[in-house]
Amino acid sequence: MPTVVVMDVSLSMTRPVSVEGSEEYQRKHLAAHGLTMLFEHMATNYKLEFTALVVFSSLWELMVPFTRDYNTLQEALSNMDDYDKTCLESALVGVCNIVQQEWGGAIPCQVVLVTDGCLGIGRGSLRHSLATHSQRSESNRFPLPFPFPSKLYIMCMANLEELQSTDSLECLERLIDLNNGEGQIFTIDGPLCLKNVQSMFGKLIDLAYTPFHAVLKCGHLTADVQVFPRPEPFVVDEEIDPIPKVINTDLEIVGFIDIADISSPPVLSRHLVLPIALNKEGDEVGTGITDDNEDENSANQIAGKIPNFCVLLHGSLKVEGMVAIVQLGSEWHGMLYSQADSKKKSNLMMSLFEPGPEPLPWLGRMAQLGPISDAKENPYGEDDNKSPFPLQPKNKRSYAQNVTVWIKPSGLQVTSPSRFRNAGLPVFQELNRLRKAALAFGFLDLLKGVADMLERECTLLPDTAHPDAAFQLTHAAQQLKLASTGTSDYAAYDHNITPLHTDFSGSSTDRM
Amino acid sequence: MKIFSESHKTVFVVDHCPYMAESCRQHVEFDMLVKNRTQGIIPLAPISKSLWTCSVESSMEYCRIMYDIFPFKKLVNFIVSDSGAHVLNSWTQEDQNLQELMAALAAVGPPNPRADPECCSILHGLVAAVETLCKITEYQHEARTLLMENAERVGNRGRIICITNAKSDSHVRMLEDCVQETIHEHNKLAANSDQIVSILIYLKCFQFCLKEEQHANTSANYDVELLHHKDAHVDFLKSGDSHLGGSNREGPFKETITLKWCTPRTNNIELHYCTGAYRISPVDVNSRPSSCLTNFLLNGRSVLLEQPRKSGSKVISHMLSSHGGEIFLHVLSSSRSILEDPPSISEGCGGRVTDYRITDFGEFMRENRLTPFLDPRYKIDGSLEIPLERAKDQLEKHTRYWPMIISQTTIFNMQAVVPLASVIVKESLTEEDVLNCQKTIYNLVDMERKNDPLPISTVGTRGKGPKRDEQYRIMWNELETLVRAHINNSEKHQRVLECLMACRSKPPEEEERKKRGRKREDKEDKSEKAVKDYEQEKSWQDSERLKGILEHGKEELAEAEIIKDSPDSPEPPNKKPLVELEETPQVEKSKGPVSLLSLWCNRINTANSRKHQEFAGRLNSVNNRAELYQHLKEENGFVMETTENGKASRQ
Repeated sequence: MPTVVVMDVSLSMTRPVSVEGSEEYQRKHLAAHGLTMLFEHMATNYKLEFTALVVFSSLWELMVPFTRDYNTLQEALSNMDDYDKTCLESALVGVCNIVQQEWGGAIPCQVVLVTDGCLGIGRGSLRHSLATHSQRSESNRFPLPFPFPSKLYIMCMANLEELQSTDSLECLERLIDLNNGEGQIFTIDGPLCLKNVQSMFGKLIDLAYTPFHAVLKCGHLTADVQVFPRPEPFVVDEEIDPIPKVINTDLEIVGFIDIADISSPPVLSRHLVLPIALNKEGDEVGTGITDDNEDENSANQIAGKIPNFCVLLHGSLKVEGMVAIVQLGSEWHGMLYSQADSKKKSNLMMSLFEPGPEPLPWLGRMAQLGPISDAKENPYGEDDNKSPFPLQPKNKRSYAQNVTVWIKPSGLQVTSPSRFRNAGLPVFQELNRLRKAALAFGFLDLLKGVADMLERECTLLPDTAHPDAAFQLTHAAQQLKLASTGTSDYAAYDHNITPLHTDFSGSSTDRM
Repeated sequence: MKIFSESHKTVFVVDHCPYMAESCRQHVEFDMLVKNRTQGIIPLAPISKSLWTCSVESSMEYCRIMYDIFPFKKLVNFIVSDSGAHVLNSWTQEDQNLQELMAALAAVGPPNPRADPECCSILHGLVAAVETLCKITEYQHEARTLLMENAERVGNRGRIICITNAKSDSHVRMLEDCVQETIHEHNKLAANSDQIVSILIYLKCFQFCLKEEQHANTSANYDVELLHHKDAHVDFLKSGDSHLGGSNREGPFKETITLKWCTPRTNNIELHYCTGAYRISPVDVNSRPSSCLTNFLLNGRSVLLEQPRKSGSKVISHMLSSHGGEIFLHVLSSSRSILEDPPSISEGCGGRVTDYRITDFGEFMRENRLTPFLDPRYKIDGSLEIPLERAKDQLEKHTRYWPMIISQTTIFNMQAVVPLASVIVKESLTEEDVLNCQKTIYNLVDMERKNDPLPISTVGTRGKGPKRDEQYRIMWNELETLVRAHINNSEKHQRVLECLMACRSKPPEEEERKKRGRKREDKEDKSEKAVKDYEQEKSWQDSERLKGILEHGKEELAEAEIIKDSPDSPEPPNKKPLVELEETPQVEKSKGPVSLLSLWCNRINTANSRKHQEFAGRLNSVNNRAELYQHLKEENGFVMETTENGKASRQ
């Protein structure tokens, strides 16, 4: 989940904060302090997160495009100038553009808006934006809800009392509502000081930036892992009472399937599964990823030399071309596989299927998948040359069963021409198909027409024709005529026209 | 609550009155034979469809497309109305297919033009439609059962599609009023009944919630129009690119997006990042381009499709692929990945280890592949068996003892052990399995007698590694660990262990004593992980340790005598069974567990011992008392080797 930090650099952010007996702080200093803390946290615990920094006043500017380089972000924080008034709407439009250009409309993003709760005055102020919200056309649509899945976190450099003294809080709450309730407002508890700003950002970190730790299990083989990005709770909207589903911290492998059998299934999200070394308290020691820090380095090197199940699993999945099916919760599954980023680099990846008993029609119900050793004979064959997948649906789809559609005249023509004769003999299979469709659609005139056609064929037979041809054509025409009356037994839907038995030869049966 | 929207239930009411037998007055040329035949033949007169045929065809086409795209949870009920209502099918899933409906329609036949129009009315059908909408479907029943007392929260909505001939607007209003009134009456009835449910909303006009896609080859003649769920283009529509490829061709319900077949072939062993998959149905199912494409796909091949972008560039956005005779449009992610440039797995934890048993684990995965079990199976106690739980059980059994790296194991590097290792993990053994296991063990005994070399890892050791008899001792210990992990599976597993215990060689007592410290470590190291959550195993481990402690005492008494044996001298041929007789019963004795402190001390000691070379005297000491001048009886360097080995086994 990429993050966009949207920092208010309007003049009101330079309002001083009274701190007893020390140097004078401005609100923007508090904000920078909080963001520094956030960036430091991400640099150590959430380092794969892409973050961009936008500053805004009446205009907005992308200070740092999406990056994992937290030093750059940190530097940008200390190089911010003060500008004029707050104009939130244009900044949010800016965020829309930045995110869509970079990630498209499907990837969820977190927007961290840092402001002091002064929402501007006149045109472009949030009050003005909200007041005109109902009079928007498609061309100047209000940027919320964001056109991508999102969370909007508003970090106020002000405490609740201050915000409540005006209608600021109300306006900000309205923003969250407009984002379909996705997001939260944070305010400073107590007086404005560094400590309280820290605790406010601490809450944001707890809510949105704590790494997701889990235990990957395959029977007794286990590994501690971090799943990145954090899997977010998922709401199944087909349920009567939708409750967000959260994935287990025990990721239990239930079995394996060939990549060809799972065949590019649709997934909700993809995540890296990174093995981590935990110390006794359960704190993460390191992901084994080399870092500048020297202490960490040696800890990582040790971790690198201890056999880890993730590495074994990854290696075998890659070599065998298989995926591991993993249980994420009750009636919720996913798959683990090796994903190559380049020729050299590859990784263990986890994709989440949609929750439910049967996420992939071609695998059937997940609960009905069992070990091959329980089957009477190996469904993959002794030489590994077959597969029990994909499952066939009970009814064939129209394009797989030769249906008859005559809605367009062309459809009827495709059905009618020379298909009914082969070397002068009628093709009974085609005739029967036509007969059934005509009876179902009540199109009896067509049966008469085709009968006439066959009779005419009979008169046009060349001398070299098979002696049986004339008999069979006449027989078929007769049968169709009988069906076209719609009354006799010959008009029964299930009745089939069969070739006439003649004593010339048995070859006519070959034509069936 | 999406599933119980009005599209869950659709009732077709088709007029079967005499009027419907009239011609639609649109001629159809069906005689195409003339084209390339002898001249002078007059083509047969064109024919025309009746209003009834047109109505039935179009409603069947609706069903065809819907069954293709939404084979489940979207149900159709077909009613024909003349002098009464004929309900042609039910809401059950078995009735939801074209064949059933076609057969039922054939039985009804075309309307009789000579019937009395006064007796016939579409109202019969409409009333029946309301009645049938009140009946709950299997899916609704399931949802209601789940909700128990809140069953009324399951929505009951539906729509009636009526195809009839109305004389005027007021006639249409009359029909609407009639339906409204019937719904009102039935809702009153439903309030007092469990069997029928009230209808919430009546929709006058249905919404075709599908989008249409054109999928073009280089030649415009081979365009294939496909219908599918509109969600397949959600990203595209949001991106603002839609004005380019999309067009509103035929009113608000039909939007077209053009995608192009692109040349890169894809094979089925490639795992695409796919964010959605939707069933498709060709608009013109019988046309040659359509059937060409569908047959191509049904034969197991996939087609990648590309989409034009605002910038003029193109991007591969979709893939057509069939699974089990159903064709799906896969939506491929085309935006930048947030996971780009991840750290390689080789840079992370365990990434520096180079001797993982990759091939063995590959074999393990193939043995633990999944397969569908469609018929319910029952356990001995009669309860339903869940195949997926069986799969988990099997994984548990197969991993009770599974060393991850080659240098951590001896037995799994030995072809000779395979027959035993492959069957011992099973839930139950056949007599033949037991026999094979026993054969394997005898074979190992034979190898030992012949002094065959073992594939003991020498990684991290200096010199040649452990001596041959030491190698066998390690191997036997490991094999015992494997077999013991499964003795509770069945009595036959127990028999394999008994055979193993009876056959395995016991090193001379003296050697045992000297190496005990390391041996214990060995075992702890290896089985630690496997044991963690496998409780049953604990008991045998404990007894194993205790055995050591008891023997320790016993040995102290016998020390003076035993110590004279040289470890390398061959054992007297008849000594082996003797030792077994003495020792086997002791295994059975149950003893207390080793304390955490001693475990910890052991670890610390071994860690420390790595940092310096231990005094030979302390190493060989018993109760911190060492016998001097031992080297006179032993080979030089023996002690040192032991420490080195201890190190190796932990790496």
